[in-house]
Parts: sequence; C-alpha cells; structure tokens
Amino acid sequence: MTRFLLFLALCLAAFGLSSCLDVVNIDVPEAKPLLAVDGHITDQGTPAFVSLSLTQAYFNDTPPPPVRGATLSLVDDQGNSDVLREVSPGQYLGSGSVRGRIGGQYTLTMVVDGQTYRAATEIRRTPRIDSISLEYKPKQTGYDEGYYALYNGPELPGVGDYYRFMVYKNGALFNQPDDLIVSSDELVDGRYIGGVELNDDPLVSGDRIKVEMLSIPRDYYYFLNEMTAQINNVGLFATSPANVRTNIINTQTGSDKTAVGYFAGYTVRADSVVVR
Amino acid sequence: MKQPFFLLVGLAGGLALTPAPASAQNSPNPRAAGPNVTLSGYLKDAATGEALIGASVFVKSLGVGATANEYGFYSLTLPKGRYVVTYTYVGSAPREETLDLTTSQTLSVKLAAKGVETGEVVVTGRAPDQNVRSTETGVARLDARQVKMVPALLGEADVVRTIQLLPGVSTVGEGATGFNVRGGGVDQNLILMDEAPVYNSSHLFGLFSVFNPDAVKDLKLVKGGIPAAYGGRLSSLLDIRMKDGNSQRLGVNGGVGIVSSRLAVEAPIVKDKGSFIVAGRRSYADLFLKFNPDQKDNQAYFYDFSAKANYTLGERDRVYLSGYFGRDVFKFGDLFENSWGNKTGTLRWNHVFNSRLFMNVTALASRYDYGLGVPTGTQGFEWTSNITDYSAKADFEFFRNPNSTLHFGGSSIFYTFEPGHVVPTQATSIFRELRLQQQQATEWAAYLDEERSFGPAFSVQYGLRATMFENTSAGTFYDYTGELGKQLSPVNPQTYGRSHRLASYPNLEPRLSARYALSESGSIKASYHRMVQYIHLISNTTAATPLDVWLPSTRNVRPEHADQVTLGYFRNFQHNAYEASLEVFGKKMDNQIDYINGANTLLNQNLEAELLYGRGRAYGAELYVKKNEGRFTGWLSYTLSRSERQIDGINQNKWYANKYDKTHVLALVGSYAVSDRLSLSSTFNYSTGVATTVPDSRFVYQGLVVPNVNGDVRNNYRVPAYHRLDLAATLKNKLHPERRWQGSWTFSIYNVYGRRNAFGLYFRQNEDHPTQTEAVRLSIFGTVLPSATYNFTF
Repeated sequence: MTRFLLFLALCLAAFGLSSCLDVVNIDVPEAKPLLAVDGHITDQGTPAFVSLSLTQAYFNDTPPPPVRGATLSLVDDQGNSDVLREVSPGQYLGSGSVRGRIGGQYTLTMVVDGQTYRAATEIRRTPRIDSISLEYKPKQTGYDEGYYALYNGPELPGVGDYYRFMVYKNGALFNQPDDLIVSSDELVDGRYIGGVELNDDPLVSGDRIKVEMLSIPRDYYYFLNEMTAQINNVGLFATSPANVRTNIINTQTGSDKTAVGYFAGYTVRADSVVVR
Repeated sequence: MKQPFFLLVGLAGGLALTPAPASAQNSPNPRAAGPNVTLSGYLKDAATGEALIGASVFVKSLGVGATANEYGFYSLTLPKGRYVVTYTYVGSAPREETLDLTTSQTLSVKLAAKGVETGEVVVTGRAPDQNVRSTETGVARLDARQVKMVPALLGEADVVRTIQLLPGVSTVGEGATGFNVRGGGVDQNLILMDEAPVYNSSHLFGLFSVFNPDAVKDLKLVKGGIPAAYGGRLSSLLDIRMKDGNSQRLGVNGGVGIVSSRLAVEAPIVKDKGSFIVAGRRSYADLFLKFNPDQKDNQAYFYDFSAKANYTLGERDRVYLSGYFGRDVFKFGDLFENSWGNKTGTLRWNHVFNSRLFMNVTALASRYDYGLGVPTGTQGFEWTSNITDYSAKADFEFFRNPNSTLHFGGSSIFYTFEPGHVVPTQATSIFRELRLQQQQATEWAAYLDEERSFGPAFSVQYGLRATMFENTSAGTFYDYTGELGKQLSPVNPQTYGRSHRLASYPNLEPRLSARYALSESGSIKASYHRMVQYIHLISNTTAATPLDVWLPSTRNVRPEHADQVTLGYFRNFQHNAYEASLEVFGKKMDNQIDYINGANTLLNQNLEAELLYGRGRAYGAELYVKKNEGRFTGWLSYTLSRSERQIDGINQNKWYANKYDKTHVLALVGSYAVSDRLSLSSTFNYSTGVATTVPDSRFVYQGLVVPNVNGDVRNNYRVPAYHRLDLAATLKNKLHPERRWQGSWTFSIYNVYGRRNAFGLYFRQNEDHPTQTEAVRLSIFGTVLPSATYNFTF
C-alpha cells in the first residue's frame, strides 16, 4: 500500500510543482565486505542453487567478487541431505538428493572463511493460474492504446499466503527496480484475482507475455517487500535508507561478520499468452 | 536536568529578597491600602470591534497592571482612589482614562489604531514590553499582518511557514507537513484553532498550511513553560485565534494569487452586540487541467472554509460559534482518487460571574479523515481512516488581587480512532473488506495555576495539571515478543468488552515559570514543565504524510513524557524599539516511538509489532533580536541545538540524531517601508541538513542492486545544508479618502538564487546501466519561483 505514496507524489506534478532529482557525488563511508547470499529451492524438481559473493562499496559497479571454496550443505525435514558443489566461481548447485516439495522445510548451512552461517526456509501451498488473457484498451488516463495482459486465478482461502509475480516479455524478465512485485493476501484473501494487468506499456502483435507466480514464505515476502521499498526509495514520502532483513544467520551470535541476502523456498506456477 | 533548575529557582528566590530596583521603590503596596474595588471590562479595537488579546491596562501611580485574556476581558483590583489608567496595545494609540474608583466599575474600552503609518508593522508582543514583563519563556506571538509581511511561497501567506522563522522552530524539509519545536516531532505540537485541535496542519502534502490568513487574528506559540491550562503534547502549544468578525461595519477582503483565491466577509449581526465572519479559499491550478485533453479527467485542488459568529447576550454573557472545514482532493481519471481534510467546530460561552471571576465553557468536535481508492474496475476499493474527538471543558480565571490571578478548570476529550477500513467498490473486485481494530479513549484533565507577583521585580506562575488517559477499546489485543529491532510476533491474545479498560494512565504535570526584573527593560526568567502525550502520530517517512494515522496509548504504547527547563535573558532597548532574548533549554523525553527497518505503518493489523520505544533528549540555545519600530522592522533568529534518541533495537542501542535534528538554524526577516505605498521585505534562511542514513555497501540480489549499511547504523550522515533567500514588494494603490476600496499588489520571488536545496538523498540503480549505482538529491523546488498576488479590502 505504500506504493500509493508514489501516486501522491505524482499529484504534486498536477500543481506544476514537479520536484527535481539530480545525481550528486557524495562520499560514503568505507565498509568491510560481508557475505551476500542469493539462493533458492523450488518445487520444480531442480536441485537447490546458491550464489555467494561479497558486498562491495556502494558506488563500486564492478561485478561482485564471488566467494569460492565454501562448504554448503542442505537438509530437509524428512532427514534427506545434500552437498552443494561449486559449479562455477561462487555458484553452488545441489546434487538433487534434497528436492523441493510443497510443505517441505529446508536448512542450508554454509561454512565460509571459518564462519558458519545458517538459513532456514520452507515451501508453502500454492494456488493455480487459470489463464492469462488479453484486453484492448483505447487511449485513456494512465494508459496508452493497445493490448494488456491480465492475470486470472483464484486465491486460496485463509490469510497468510504471499506471492511474487515475475513477468517476462518475449523471454526477457522485467527486472527494473519497480518491476519487483510482491503481494500478501491480507486484502484479497480467498477472492478471485481476475483482470490484474501485468504490463505497463501496451503489447504489439507477436509479443509473448509469460508470468511466473511464486508462492513464497512470509519472511521472504517481507524481505522482498523491504527490498522493493529500498530500491524504489525516492520522493517526498521516502524513508531514510535502511537495511532489508535477511535469513542468513551467523551461528556465532554477536559476530560482526554478518551476512546479507536470502535463501528462499517457493513454488513456481507459470502461464503465458501471445498477442495475435 | 532538574538539578540546575532547582538551583536556578533558589537563585531567583534569593534575588527577590534583595531591594527592588529603584524605579519601583516608591510604589505603595496595593494590598496594604484600604478596601479594594475592581475595574473590569473588555478591550476592543475601535475600528473592527475585535477583542484585543493581550492588551494591557496599567496604573502608573501604583505600578500595577493587568492583561486582557483571549476574549479581551481584563480585571484589575485596586484600592479606592483616583487614578490615571492607561490602556495600551501595540499598533494602537495608548488611551488614558482618569477614573474615580469608589465602587467596582465595568469599563470596556475601544482602542483606535495609530494613524496609518507607512509600512508600520507590528512585531510580536501586545503590551510593548510584554516579553520582558511577563513570566512567559519560549513564547512567540504573531498576528496576521506579520504572516502577510513575510515573502510567501507562490504568494500564499502562510501561518506555519512563518512560524518556521522563529527561534527553536524548524522543519525536516521544504514542503514537509507541520513544524518541529525544540527537537520534538511534528505530532508533539498541540495546534488549536479556536480551541479545537487540528490533527493535520497541511494542504498539498505540506506546502501550505490549512489556516486561511484572512480568518486568523492572532497566534501564539509556546515552547517552554507551558501553563497548566494546556497539555496533551510534548513540545509546544500553537494557539490560533480566529477573527471575531467586524462588529462595526461590513468589511470584505480577499486576494487573487497564482495558486488560490481568497475571500472573507465580516459584518455586525447587531452593531456592537454581535458579528460574524466567513472566509474561504480555493486553489485553482487544476482548472487549467481542463484545457489539456490528456488531463481533463484529473482533479487536484484544495479548499478551506471558516465561519465564526459571536453574540453578546447581556453584560455578562457572550457566545461564540466557530467552524472550519478544509479538504484536499486529487483524482486521476478513474484510476485513483484521494482526499483528506480537517473539520472542527467550537461552541463557547463566556460568562462574567463578577468583576473578578471569568469563565469560558467550550464544547468542540474535531475530525481528520482521509479516503483513498480506485473507484471502479476489478481492483476497485475504498480505504478510509479518521481520528475524531469530542471535547468539553470549562476554564475559570479568578483575578484575586493585582498580585494574584488564579486559573483553574477541567476538560475531557473523547477520542475514536479508525486507523483503516478497506471495502471493495464492486462485487468483482479482487479486494475483500478489511477493518483494522478501532479504538476509543478518554483523556481527562484538571488544573490549577496561579500567577503571582512578589513586588514589581519578582513574579511566578506555577500550577499543576492532573491528567488521566483511559483506553476503553473493545476487541482482541496482543502482547508482542521477539528480538528488539526485528518484527515482533503477537502472542497472548486477550479479548475485551466495552466496559473493560484496556489501559489506564494517570499523570501529574507540574508547571512553573519565574521572572526576575533586573531593570525596567531587562529580566531573567526560568521555567520548568512536565508534559504528557497520550496520542501518537505513526509516521515512518522523512516528512509526515496525509495517510499517517494517530494511535492512542495502549497496553504496549505508553504515554510519552517530557521534562523541560528553560532559562532566558530578556532585554529591550530604546524604549522597546528593539527586543532581544537569549534562551537555553534542555529537555528529556521517554516512550519516544521509532520504527524497525522497513516498518509498514499503513493498514497493518500488527502495527505494534513494528514499533520500538526509547528515550529522547534535546538541548539548545536560541537568540532572538527584533526591531519593532521605524521604517525598517524585522527579526533575526538563531538556534543552536541537538535532538537525539536512544532506542533499544536501533543503531546498536546507541544514541543517534533524530531525523529532524538540525545543529544551526538561522532566519533573517526584514521589511522596509520605502514610501506610503511601497514596502519591501525579504527573508533569508540557513539550516544544517537533516540527518539521514546512507549505505556504505551494496549487494546484488537477482539482478537488482540492494543498498546496505554495515552495523545497521541509523542517521549516519547529513544532507547538504539548506539556504534560501526570498524577496517581496508590496505596492498599494493610491489612497482615495472617499473610496473604501483599497487594493495592493504583492510580487514575490521565492528561492531567489534558485538553489536546489536537498530534501533528501536517495540511492538507486542507474536506469540505463543497472549495475551502476548513484546517489540522487531530491529538491522540492529546484528553481526560482516568482509570483504575483492582488489583495483588496473594502
């Protein structure tokens, strides 16, 4: 709902009082690098995958340094275990002896540079996608003329479900900061989710829109939601920058060698449509 | 904090025992003379009949005097005798009356404004030496003329923007809602409009305040030594009094500006017995949207309307009815709409029991609400929220003798809080109804306070306010558990019915101010007060938004307390032509609310899971120098201060700067009367940038660059300093004695040198090169803003 604050900032423009943004040079403090984790296990039958790197200075835009030679192991709630192998620098892939399944719980242990980190996650129930439909809209306030893809599918009764929607156009993920969309079912619990637009700019003939709906754990929803706030954080109603949460815990409490990022379990359901 | 205070009071007490200054030595003690009589009545403006708040009555031969209260009533008890009584009000010619007082007398006096002296500007203070003579510390008064003198943003004279030029007052940024007083939050100011609290003081997200300057008579900001009659907020009292309306003749005034137009009409109901005023304004920038086909379905405007009537029922009784209604409306076709506003209504009854006992009874209602939604379609919903209060109070003033005035009374406020209610607008909407826990609460208060003078040199005002807050909400409530600084988990649900008290908080709030006159034109003053605040604005953004909700104290959210001491030196020069003061203050606060990282404060059923509580402290020095007379008038205000908090779970539990902490705040305000028709004015502001958090590192998560700060520190950086120069020129049309119409043009330039003042610093990926990260500066106005306004009166 904080997204509405962005709308409100737009209102100022109606008064001809558009504020101005410009890039400035500032000196930010130096920081020690920390372990950054980006990992997942899904219900799609593929082994768990984890990418390890180090944080770097905020204005350093070189590729993040990979963390090599870490020992990663994964266990689930049924006593299965797996060891993740480094398939390329900093990229670790499981053997498949632990598979993601709905209702499963997973704990990842990482030994990096003498420190042991742990991350726990789960895979939750998921609704289905009924269809992705198309709607033609004439030019009107907020829309350019053309086709828009719409999501249609049920939401499961019972509050406590969380989703991420990933939208691909012609195979490419919309992945600008404002394309990161997560939702909770608090306001839509058990309702039919019909006619929700998936693209901002109109589609043209031949365009293919694919959507992946991820059913995600509660804590991961908050991680992504906080991330959305931080990477789209500009304007009259912005908050001061603040760290997003993580589920990567250093087992030695009080250590300043903390970690950032997330190891998440989720389901994936997908559907697509092609504009004729 | 308290120790130096007691030392100070002891010091002041010791001084009082030393011989009084020479100028007062011959004054007989009025209490020692024979039987006393009382002179009382109302002080009014001769031209308009407006009550003259704070006008003074003085008997020079005795060295005693009195001050008119908020309704213009005064009472002065004297020994029988023949006296020359002087009535004075800044901006009016003093009037002397020779009276034979053998019995108590009622004398209502009308004071005429001084001959329209060119560019004459009244700067604060009603009696010219009020600042030195009264026991008040940390008080600033403004009237509508001063508000209109200051060069205005887009030509809109503005109450809150003018207040921000006073010492001890600051803002988190241009266009931010409200104001911060002595290191306090925007919700820690008690803003009263004709006694009714105003819960959101802003139009247009904070660019303008909700008060129409044409309807405002007088405003008073109290930052320290707040009298026992007021409470409920930690930092300050902003007491805004609306005009009563001209009781002598019809008056119309208005203005046409580039943002809004204003019109106010005032007239007698029955001459000298009653009058009314109605005043309204509306912005009209959106009317131009109609000419643009892409924009024709959009709306963006604000308006406000105030009305007030008063009627004298007899020698002893007078009633006042006043109301305010304001709203901001935004609409983007059928995609989105949003509106918000305040409504207040006040009914007051003044009764004079006898020449020494004055009563005011008030019944009032105030409501702030907003609505937000998508009117149609499958994502249609309407979200509403409000805070409503109904209050009743009675205030008495007993003028015991010239050396003692008692104030006492009581009040009760009944609040209802509707933090959020969402309903779908059509059956196929994806949304369901969701209603957050509503709450009800009552705040009771009783107070007694005495203003007492011990000879001409030493006077005190001391009092006690007893308050009680009862949260009587019905519903299911939780305790919260978990690691501080992380989102907590609700546990131990407990369901209460309406008869149960969810939480009950009694408090005693002592207040004390003392003054010691060093000479006719200089004094030192000290004050201590304890303030308690039971309702809290939940706002996690840099500037408060119209969507922020007020939350009552609950089992988990405790009342906020503040203890403040102020010490000041006040000195006037050249027969009050110049006023100067230097004040230092220190303040300690507890139960201050802050938020976990990424807290979601809107439509959150477990809001208390994201709140953290801790200590606050603020201290500083304020210098104020004003020139009241002559062609050149104006003031300088400079504040050096610090405002910090320590909250377990934030910043490694160490002290950190508040988001509104500003080390230096400087304001220079000047006005120069070039001729009878032309006056020029200018303001200059400088302030240290506000505190913010900047990331020191980054990581990439699924192709998106996320900022991070090691150690999770907060407010580790300052945005660049703010400074701005504004200019204005006002040209009156030629005076025609036979014509009542008077017009004037005001041309102003805001942000003369077009500085891009930073409102905040933000961090993002470059749009075209996503791996590159950049810091961006947001400036609310990145340019020079000229404007022209035509004002008229007849």
